[in-house]
Amino acid sequence: MTPQVTLPIYDDLLKDFSKLEMKAEHEQIRQKRRNALEVFKRTGFPTRKHEDWKYTAVTPYLQANFRTNGSVPIAPVAVDYLKLAAIPGLDCYRVVTVNGVLQPTEVALPSNVKIRSMAEAQEDAGLLKHFGSVSVLDKAPFAALNTALFAHGFFLEMDANTSLDKPIHLVQVLSSDAHAFVQPRNLVVIHAGANATLIESVVSTPGTKVFVNSVTEVVLKENAQLQHYVLQMAEKETQLIQQNDVSQSMHSLYSNYTFSLPGSSLIRNNLNVALDAQQTETHLYGLYLGTGNQLIDNHSLVDHKMPHCNSNEMYKGVLMDRATGVFNGKVFVQQDAQKTNAFQQNNNLLLSDEATINSKPQLEIFADDVKCSHGSTVGQLSKESMFYLQSRGISEQSARAMLVNAFAFDVTEKIGIPQLEKFINHKITAHIPALN
Amino acid sequence: MEKENQLLEEIANSEYEYGFVTNIETDKLPEGLNEDTIRFISAKKQEPEWLLEYRLKGYQAFLRSKMPEWQNFKMPDIDFQAISYYAEPKPKKQLQSLDEVDPELLETFEKLGIPLNEQKLLAGVAVDAVFDSVSIATTYKGKLKELGIIFCSFSEAVKEHPELVKKYMGSVVPHSDNIFASLNTAAFSDGSFVYIPKGVRCPMELSTYFRINAQNTGQFERTLIIADEGSYVSYLEGCTAPRRDENQLHAAVVELIAMEGAEIKYSTVQNWYPGDKDGKGGIYNFVTKRGICKGRKSRISWTQVETGSAITWKYPSVILQGDDSEAEFYSVAVTKNKQLADTGTKMMHLGKNTKSRIISKGISAGHSHNSYRGLVYVGPKADYARNFTQCDSLLLGDRCGAHTFPYIETKNKTATIEHEATTSKIGEDQVFYLNQRGIDDEKAVALIVNGYVRDVINQLPMEFAVEAQKLLAISLEGSVG
Repeated sequence: MTPQVTLPIYDDLLKDFSKLEMKAEHEQIRQKRRNALEVFKRTGFPTRKHEDWKYTAVTPYLQANFRTNGSVPIAPVAVDYLKLAAIPGLDCYRVVTVNGVLQPTEVALPSNVKIRSMAEAQEDAGLLKHFGSVSVLDKAPFAALNTALFAHGFFLEMDANTSLDKPIHLVQVLSSDAHAFVQPRNLVVIHAGANATLIESVVSTPGTKVFVNSVTEVVLKENAQLQHYVLQMAEKETQLIQQNDVSQSMHSLYSNYTFSLPGSSLIRNNLNVALDAQQTETHLYGLYLGTGNQLIDNHSLVDHKMPHCNSNEMYKGVLMDRATGVFNGKVFVQQDAQKTNAFQQNNNLLLSDEATINSKPQLEIFADDVKCSHGSTVGQLSKESMFYLQSRGISEQSARAMLVNAFAFDVTEKIGIPQLEKFINHKITAHIPALN
Repeated sequence: MEKENQLLEEIANSEYEYGFVTNIETDKLPEGLNEDTIRFISAKKQEPEWLLEYRLKGYQAFLRSKMPEWQNFKMPDIDFQAISYYAEPKPKKQLQSLDEVDPELLETFEKLGIPLNEQKLLAGVAVDAVFDSVSIATTYKGKLKELGIIFCSFSEAVKEHPELVKKYMGSVVPHSDNIFASLNTAAFSDGSFVYIPKGVRCPMELSTYFRINAQNTGQFERTLIIADEGSYVSYLEGCTAPRRDENQLHAAVVELIAMEGAEIKYSTVQNWYPGDKDGKGGIYNFVTKRGICKGRKSRISWTQVETGSAITWKYPSVILQGDDSEAEFYSVAVTKNKQLADTGTKMMHLGKNTKSRIISKGISAGHSHNSYRGLVYVGPKADYARNFTQCDSLLLGDRCGAHTFPYIETKNKTATIEHEATTSKIGEDQVFYLNQRGIDDEKAVALIVNGYVRDVINQLPMEFAVEAQKLLAISLEGSVG
């Protein structure tokens, strides 16, 4: 397809692959790597000619000389930096990764949760069964690249019919002075009847220049429940491409909350949920706050394959300065997925003359007995509301913050953890510009 | 339930009602497209040099262009060299009155219900009937002439008003816009031309009927409508085509230009042969339609009822350049059997205080697929732009598909954009409610469908609304009473 010779990283990555080939690894994983590499060689890095990357050019971010796989620093970072990720008042089990590498946990996790590094768990039957089973690589060049070349990552398992007294807080620290290309690969398996809450915070140390291409596969067995929070708060010189692939079994419930906050110059979320069995429920909530020259791109796909499934998606965006927001939400309803209820909504608030939003809600429906709808809006703060608040002695700044908080309320009220809700609301208020 | 399935079956299997072939000898060019063919067409139509050059420019662009790949269906392989690019009805003398027109042709028109002869003129419709690319008769010309309105075939306009054609042709749809527009530029056969002078309100609905007739002739219509300052015109276009087994390509280009304070209303009823129930045959309808609101407070409105064609690929669009301009798009697209429709609109907001409204209603039955694809773009200078979009899909049967691909691109914080879409089938509760009141299933479905499309049908001029309803009735035979 597109010639990649212009990008030095392309050759580096191919060289990495031949090094990886020498390492001892389970044959099954090795085979998946090979297949994925073939896919990536065919597709190359996506350009804006790809429909899925129409509004997001990644190649400008890939021009630098990157450190890849082996040469990426994996040293633990001083605890101070973890303060960046701390959510005040939240009691949780903390797990830390640095550039994708799992660090030893400070406090032992309860026995019903197991978290191991990918390398450590590579002979595990559960890992081999689920690894690469959820992600579809054909049209996902970055996921293919990750599958072919991931060096680190974790495998998290939650025992059947158990739950936890507090959430797991997974702090993903990015840290590198020189340009680094990091590809973590994670697998989360929630066994039948288990219930877990996972909060992922992506943060970076000052001056970090990291391009992240991560893939997390999530498997929910029968009756399993997962509340999955993703907080993206890394610094300006980081780029995040995060793919989350979810597979749901019968009666399972998956809720995803993605908060893309000011920082990373490029954020691309690929959230794909496959409803592989009947009677499932899915909630996808998102809030993106874009400032500076940020580009925040949320692509989601809910694939209704079986009857009697419900999905609900709500993404809200607030764009300031010269930030660009992209939303593409796909809902597929396959022929067998009768009695589907699917709802999708995307609302955007533009607070600056130079901000841009590209929104594309998309429905593809092949079954007739379904209720599907989507809505998308773009607007600004209403002058009447501003005037009303100001006439009651509230400063313009506070009035704006109040209204933006109110706009985000549809999403923030769904957060099941009060401390986290407060934290997000605080973040919103902190980033509302003072004046027009 | 049984009954409902039976109904759906009937709908899905109903055959095309306007399928008949008129036997008139046609003067045809051998198949294929090259510079010589273009020169031949141009010479045959005694065109000036600049137009030939423009055609050749279009041909060069055509050679450079690739087939589009983004549409939501498998594009058939179209052999552009297997198409004859020129055909005209044989008896080509100058005709003074309708008596001289080939009676068989008149009969065809009558079957289509075109009010061409004297009595039918009472219907108040001036018709420029295009029959296989050449205008046969134009009526009401005198009256329009008094007002300074020009309404004639495109070739006539090239002869009589070259300055207008030269100035505006290709100004909205450039010759290199897309492969089908380029093909049209290179090989367009004929079409209609309308010019409404300043401040004139066109007193009647202008209408043209297109009809593809000769075997194997693609039809490449070119329509150009210019509404000068403060004028108003309502233009109707309707089509039916006889049935046949080979696919036919139709690649028309329509350009609308509205100056300050002008309003253009463009309505289409499209009912070309959709192919039989296995999807064999049928017209490929690849049309480029675009209007520009050039001046302040100008207005363009597209209304379309699409029931025919094997493949419909069209996106009537509006560039809202003038401040305070407004655009509307109303569409009903019905697909059944193996039909494919990928249709929608583009609203490009460039001027301040521009408004647009999109109402799209899709109905899919049988094994058909119906897609809405639309773009609402708000440029950085389009302060206070406003858009409302509603696209609904109705599914009849469980083997059809309905898809929506709305693109919203906003670069201005003062823009207000709303988009909503729903997909559903006719509810059993709705049918039950009507049953209770003594309305049988068939009439109930008819009522619901009529109610569903009413927002769009209401936008059509009266005569057309009747035809559109007739078409819907035929298309959804068995359910619409």
